[in-house]
Parts: sequence; C-alpha cells; structure tokens
Amino acid sequence: MLNPAMNQLVASLLDGDHAAALAEARRLRASGLAAEQIVTEGLEAAMRRLDDKCTVESFNLLEIMLVGRAVSAVANELYPEGVPPAQGRATFVIATLEGDVHDLGKNIAKMVLIGKGYRVVDLGKDCPLATLANAALREHAQAVLVSGLITSVIPQVRKVRAALDECGLAGIKLVAGGAALKQSSAEALNVDYVAETAFDGARYLDGLMREAP
Amino acid sequence: MNSLERIKAALAFAPLDRTPAVPQLFGHAAVLAGVALGDYLRDGSLLARCQLGALQRYGHDVVFAFMDLCVETEAVGSTLQYREHQYPDVASYALASAGDVAALAVPDPAVAGRMPQLLRAAGILRGELGDTVLVAGCVAGPMTLATQLLGIETALYLAADDPASFEKILDFSAAVSIRYGVAQIEAGVHLPIVFDPSASPAVVPPQFFRELLLPRLQRVFAAFRQAGALANWLNIAGPTAATLPYYPEAGVDIANFDYYVEPQRAQQLLPATCLDGNLKSLDFVEAQPEQIAAAATRLVEVFVARGGFLLSSGCEIPPEAKPENIAAMVAACRKG
Ligand code: B12
Repeated sequence: MLNPAMNQLVASLLDGDHAAALAEARRLRASGLAAEQIVTEGLEAAMRRLDDKCTVESFNLLEIMLVGRAVSAVANELYPEGVPPAQGRATFVIATLEGDVHDLGKNIAKMVLIGKGYRVVDLGKDCPLATLANAALREHAQAVLVSGLITSVIPQVRKVRAALDECGLAGIKLVAGGAALKQSSAEALNVDYVAETAFDGARYLDGLMREAP
Repeated sequence: MNSLERIKAALAFAPLDRTPAVPQLFGHAAVLAGVALGDYLRDGSLLARCQLGALQRYGHDVVFAFMDLCVETEAVGSTLQYREHQYPDVASYALASAGDVAALAVPDPAVAGRMPQLLRAAGILRGELGDTVLVAGCVAGPMTLATQLLGIETALYLAADDPASFEKILDFSAAVSIRYGVAQIEAGVHLPIVFDPSASPAVVPPQFFRELLLPRLQRVFAAFRQAGALANWLNIAGPTAATLPYYPEAGVDIANFDYYVEPQRAQQLLPATCLDGNLKSLDFVEAQPEQIAAAATRLVEVFVARGGFLLSSGCEIPPEAKPENIAAMVAACRKG
C-alpha cells in the first residue's frame, strides 16, 4: 500500500537524486514519522518500483546504482549506526571471498536488500572463510551471501558450507551471485541458490523469510 | 589454407576449409607451460614463448599478445597488486579525482610500464609466425580504461553526476588506446583487439553506449585502420544484444558475442559482420570434453550456411581451464 506522504520521497529516490531524498527524509522525520515507517513505506516502496522495472531484458545498472546510493544515504541518515537487529526484517552477511577484490556486484546486492528493509552486514572483499562464518554466527544471520566476479574464486565458494557447518550453522541458507558464479549452478557451487541479478536474489530471500519468519 | 588465410576468408564470408578456431587463451598459456601467471604478465619473451607453446599444443588459428586489462592504467600511473597465480588488480587509481585528467600524459608505449614488454611479445610472435597465424594484439577500450583509472564505482557515479568531466576522461582514454594500439601494429600484430568489458550493457545502458562510447570507438578503430590493421575486432562480454547493432557504425569487422546472446540472434543483429563466440567460459573449467564438443559442433552448424564466423568463447577461457576441453573445441572445427 502506498502512503501519499511518501510520494515525494519515493519520487526523489527513483530519480536517483540523493540530496533531495535526504532532505525529504529529514523533513518526514521532523514531522514526526518513525524511521521504521520511512523504511517500510518509503524505501521499500521505491525498491519495489525499481524491481518491477528491472527485468532481465531491461536492466539498467547505472539507474540501480543511483537509486541505491539515494536509498543508502537515507538509510544512513535514519540509522547512523546501522539498522538495529530488532528492526531489520532479517539479518544477512555478505562478502566477496578471499582472492576476489571486485565488489561492485556485492555493493549493489547490498543496497537492494537494505532498500527492502533487511539488515546487511558487509564484510567487504577478499574476505577469509573463517571471518565470514564467524560473522554469520555473531550477527545471528538468517542467510549468508557471497558474490564472485572471477572464476578462480569458485573453489573458495564451495568451501563456505563446510566453514559454516564448523561454526554450528549447518542449516543456514547460502546464496551466491555475481558474473562468474552465475555461470555455474547451485549444485556445483554447493549453495542453496544462485541469483541471476540482485533482485532475483532478493526475491528468493523474501520467499525464505516469508516461509520462516 | 593456413590459419591467417582461413581467418581472412571468414572475414570476407568466403568459402573456407574449416571454421577457424580462436579460443581466447591468455593466461592459460602460462598455466599450460607451468609458468607463474605473475611472471607471464611481466615478461614479453616469456609470454610469446608460452603463446607459441599453446599454439603447438592445440593447433588453433590465433595467438594473443595480451597481458591483462591493467596494462594501460598502470602505464598512466595506477599502482597494481600482482599475485603469483592471478591477474593483477589496481591497488591505487591514477585518477584520485576527476580534475586530475588534465595533468595526465598519454603514455609512450616504448617506455611506459609493461607496454614495452607487450610490444616485444608482439614482435617475437610475428617474427616466428609471419603470415601463417593471426597475431592479435589487445588494448583496453575507452570505457574500460576510464573505469580502471578511477575505479568502476567512482567512474559510474562521475558519469552520472558530472558528464562533462567524465567525457574528458573518455577522450584521454581513447587517445591512450590509439597510441598503444598503433604501437602494437608497428611492432607486428595483424590487428589489436579492443576489449571493452566496462562498455557492456551489464554495466552501462545502451543509450550511454550510443551517445558516449560509440564516437570514441569510431575514433579508435579509424586510427587502427589507418595504421594498417588487418581488421577491427571489438570484444565486449555480457548481455550485448542491445549494443551489437551499433558495431558496424563503430567500424567493427569482427564482433565478439558472449553466451548471453543466442547465435541466431547475433546473426540477425549483425547480418554482414563476422562474429566470434560464444561458448560459456566457465564450461571450460567445469564441463566435460563431450559437452564442449557438442556445444561447439552445434555452434559451427548454426553458421555453416552463413559463414563469417570464428569459433570462440564468449570471454576469456579461464587460466585454470581443462586442456582436454580446449582440445575438444578445436577438434569440433576440424569437422566443419
Ligand atoms: C565490466 C567487466 C570487467 C571490468 C570491471 C569489473 C568490476 N566490476 O570491477 C574489468 C575491466 C575490470 C574486468 C576485468 C576482467 N574481466 Co571482466 N567482465 C566485466 C563484465 C562485462 C561485467 C561485470 C560487471 O561488473 N557487471 C556489473 C556487476 C554489477 O554485475 P555482477 O557482478 O554480475 O552483479 C550483479 C548480479 O550478479 C548480482 N550479484 C552480484 N553478487 C551478488 C551476490 C548475491 C548474494 C546476490 C543475491 C546477487 C549478486 O547483483 C548485481 C546486480 O544485479 C563481465 C561479463 C558479464 N557477465 O557481463 C566480465 C567478466 C566478469 N570478466 C571476465 C574476465 C575473464 C575478466 C578478466 C580476467 C580479463 C583479463 N584477462 O584481464 C579481467 C579480470 C581482472 C582481475 N584482476 O580479476 C569474465 C570472468 C570469468 C573468469 N574467467 O573469471 C566475465 C564473467 C566475462 C565472461 N562472460 O566470462 N571485467
């Protein structure tokens, strides 16, 4: 459902105008709206609209980046310390694994998930497996997300499951994405799902969270 | 027919004895020779020796004087991080801020960074092979160099926030591509391939390609033609269906297409342009030779009637690929 009070914010977000979006979010806050409501009715509404527009046929990365930057700016303003665990819809940890220093795809996946109201703990690039598994445990993550642009990182991806098992996180969901990993399959990568795009991954995660709230 | 004649025939849509095999073997040549990738990428004679070894092993139709997509940015002033068994990455970007572009000079390929080593490799390969096998050089295209000078995220935000500054960087990058490519032609390559992955619709929308990149690519290819390139070859990976139709306007004679674009679609989009593609790169690591053979044979068959085709992968064949998979691809050409 669309809240008319959010129209201006949603429009600025979709224009990728981060300055205007930020100003509008501050105004809404000052008028007494709760941060949580701005996220669910503003940021998430904008993300849904972007999701509808971004089919595989017309996928405009630049546009997504600009909307993502505006969404992140507003999210940072609302939650300078990061979304508190109690308020996020769920917590995910995300990383690009050791041996791969590309993080554009990861950053985009993260922005989309933040825009959908999730709490995302970003472990950066070149991330060792143990760091990833420990963070998943520490943050009580509901899913672990890995991104990969170069094929040589695939042997690392295959080992994530075992690293998680070792931390006692045997049942946790594991999702992969990125230009190199999506040439492979969930089976070959030893993960639960391989996302074609950031939105595709987000839809899969939405589905999981609906099943197991 | 020797390999070069075969490729020329494909370019002209003329009859030929078999489909040319142009597997994109770059760093794999080092792995095959038991050489560290980090050494291969810094030593032109070693690179040439490994390329010749791979040619002997597989019997395909091309060798590549190509290091990686960081050569130009390093020559301009970026610092790279090298690793023993991986391609390097940029550790610090030459263009910390967009304004600095005015202060940058187009590097002299005779002395800058690894460029002289690459020119040496080109000279050795042409000296050894003459006009029997295609000797391809490689340059990063303007968009890719721009993203490698600034960092891809910074570059894309700059393109959106301050297009005028970004265009200056693109112009500088095109000048670098031209100078480096022309030096490669002078050093002996038959043609320099332009690699421009960052120009892919995976990264920028088709309108961006048409308005900002097409004019620069035209400039680059016109310069290569004037310098005596045998043909103009553009290689952009990813989902390029929306941008392929602009290639003829850019001056492209050979167009690479990746596994995202069906071969029939590529034929429709570029009816009169020689195409190369589009086996999935990762399959060379993960699949079995029978699967590669089947996929390659299917592809060759789709093009038999039309001609104008070089059998290739959609992007680089990963260094860690299985040799039997590459052999299976080359063998599929011998049948048609
Ligand atoms: C642009 C590009 C480059 C650019 C910049 C890349 C960057 N991001 O920094 C540059 C010029 C640096 C480059 C270099 C190389 N490249 Co390149 N490149 C590409 C290209 C065309 C697009 C990649 C890209 O950035 N897309 C945009 C980003 C945002 O997309 P993405 O990462 O896929 O992320 C999206 C989704 O996958 C998803 N996502 C990502 N991660 C995650 C995670 C989760 C959990 C979820 C849910 C979703 C998700 O969200 C994003 C938005 O939807 C691809 C081909 C393609 N697939 O289109 C080749 C490709 C990645 N490159 C390839 C190659 C071979 C190379 C080189 C090795 C070439 C060479 N020999 O030098 C070098 C690598 C150098 C190095 N040091 O590693 C191969 C990789 C395969 C391999 N062998 O490793 C590819 C896949 C081409 C191919 N078809 O095989 N490249």
